[in-house]
Amino acid sequence: MENISPLIKYFIGQGVPLDTVILLLMLPIVVTLIAFFRQVIGIKAFGIYTPAIVTFAFLAVPQLRYGVLIFVVVIFVGMLLRFALKGLRILYLPRVAITLSIIALSILMLLSFGGAMQRTGLAAVSIFPILIMITIVEKFVAAQIEKGNKAALILAVETLVISLVGYYLASWPALIKGIVAFPWLILITIPINVFLGKWDGLRLNEYFRFREVLKNLK
Amino acid sequence: MFEIFKNGKKLLGMNARNLDYIRPYNRKKAKKLADDKILSKRMLKKGGIPVPKLLAKIRTVEELENFDWFSLPSTFALKPNRGYGGGGILVVYGKKKVFKCVSSDGTETIPDPVWIKADGSKVTVEDLKGHILNILDGAFSLANMPDIAFFEERLTLLKLFKPYAYKGIPDIRVIVFNHIPVMAMLRLPTKESGGKANLQQGGIGVGIDLATGVTTTAVLGKGKIIDYVPGTRMLLSGIRIPYWKDILLLAVKAQEVSGMGFLGADVAIDRERGPVFLEINARPGLAIQVANLSGLKERLERIKGLKIKTAARGVRVGRDLFGGEVEEEVEEISGRKMIGTIEKVKLVGRNNKTIEVEAKIDTGAGFTSIDTDLAQQLGFEDTVAEYQKIEATYKDIQHLSKKERWGIYKHIPHLESTVIVNSASGSTYRPTIKITVVMDNVVIPTKVTLINRAHLKYPIIIGKRNLRKFLIDVNK
Repeated sequence: MENISPLIKYFIGQGVPLDTVILLLMLPIVVTLIAFFRQVIGIKAFGIYTPAIVTFAFLAVPQLRYGVLIFVVVIFVGMLLRFALKGLRILYLPRVAITLSIIALSILMLLSFGGAMQRTGLAAVSIFPILIMITIVEKFVAAQIEKGNKAALILAVETLVISLVGYYLASWPALIKGIVAFPWLILITIPINVFLGKWDGLRLNEYFRFREVLKNLK
Repeated sequence: MFEIFKNGKKLLGMNARNLDYIRPYNRKKAKKLADDKILSKRMLKKGGIPVPKLLAKIRTVEELENFDWFSLPSTFALKPNRGYGGGGILVVYGKKKVFKCVSSDGTETIPDPVWIKADGSKVTVEDLKGHILNILDGAFSLANMPDIAFFEERLTLLKLFKPYAYKGIPDIRVIVFNHIPVMAMLRLPTKESGGKANLQQGGIGVGIDLATGVTTTAVLGKGKIIDYVPGTRMLLSGIRIPYWKDILLLAVKAQEVSGMGFLGADVAIDRERGPVFLEINARPGLAIQVANLSGLKERLERIKGLKIKTAARGVRVGRDLFGGEVEEEVEEISGRKMIGTIEKVKLVGRNNKTIEVEAKIDTGAGFTSIDTDLAQQLGFEDTVAEYQKIEATYKDIQHLSKKERWGIYKHIPHLESTVIVNSASGSTYRPTIKITVVMDNVVIPTKVTLINRAHLKYPIIIGKRNLRKFLIDVNK
């Protein structure tokens, strides 16, 4: 790093690891990105917390594809269990508890299977990103109940898409360099969010949703 | 491309709905009312608005355990108090016959009742208990808050809607803003929606013309434009909603009672009771714009800040401003079509020869007259040729009897009769032929007189005899 802001130097001097500083400064950018996706493009995902945390989980795995693989497996097993547990007629929390337990076991199998296939990178994924991704299943199950399977699956895919965009943004070297050099720039996200919060135009996907109406308006 | 963005300004999107309408106009307390179905039912009833009867409510697991299942009628709707988007609603349509069981020691036990759902499946007391437990647990409420379950009277289906609705009861969603009905749609339950009328669940939304209460265009689910009820030949446009004015009035009154500025009012029509108010919706969906192929924002902005004193006045303003064809209404009332002084007509002559021309509507003429050239084109060449061979003016044959006159003309092929036509240029005898005139989709088989109109602007005038099914608007 050829150009480090004095502020960042100060943080490092106080013993905060550089990685932690960068990740914390990245957070405003990632959440602003998610707000932008929701308000302007119309991609909903599971709220703001889930795509943000999945973005950081992706950043924390050694290889992105293993992160995506775990995400997909979690959602897939979550969906299967919805059908499997339907006949049991049990209440919400116990049902989520069973779902979480079985997903945890599935991930364990996946990791050991990866090891058996000589994919040591998979087994090397640390526990926190895995736990984070397992917990998103609660959001998924809630969406399944409220909005149905199809809608929940769409939300999951949207979460994955936003998290991937967030991942590439947060691991973009030029952006990291920029933040290290000018950490104050992060404050721009506040006026951007004020603007997003007052944006009352149509979302991009609504142009698609209302295409028949738009055709008909003169 | 820019056109699209310009037109986009007329549509109400999710952002604008939340930011510009729900936030400023729906005070928090009022929104709470709309999210609490039992409370809003009580409030509406107090405000003189007819609502479905509340049969029973279950607030706790204890109440559920002690509930008398025999007190339920054979048909009812079970709903979560704070449900949304139609989730968690269970409707039963009939009760299975149960018989007393007499065990060997002579004690009689009556088995628990069993109900039937729309798809014919059985609903046992155990099923109901499980469903109610889920409701109490908040599985269907906003933010999973613990909830109350209640049983409600199920309305009976209006005969008119029977062929359009799958099992459930259709309802009418009216968006009300500032005491004015802004847009409306008829919501029809489908097989996919499980007898529920919510579009989110796969129901059909049919746009309604605010002025007349006649349906226009339709959408299936959240965005598919359709003309017919899926799988049938039931046309969705042109359904006339009964009690239209009363429905709009109920919607506006409900807005007054609720204290919300912007809402979706759901009204159903019961076979016996007429319009019954179902519920207030603080976050009405946007698909109504697709059903009407029209933008909400444009309409909302037009009435922002208007001072409306009474519900009746608000209804009138809404119908005037946003109702499409008032003409259609006149046509509906009179049973006659409205036409202008010049109309396109289709003429069908011999051997189905068809010609489209502009016709002059002439209330001063008795018969419809067509030009001889036109008659030739319609397959009456022989008739015209033979007729022109006869040199006889009105004066020449004036003194002859009807029979004698007919003797002169009867050899002409395809001739119907001859008639005296008195016009400004004097009286004439004219031959008539039989053709079919189609005007504004009305088919009129008729006698028309032949005359040379080559020097006139229109080759055909439509006379009084053929105008009985029409009203004439000289402005058109």
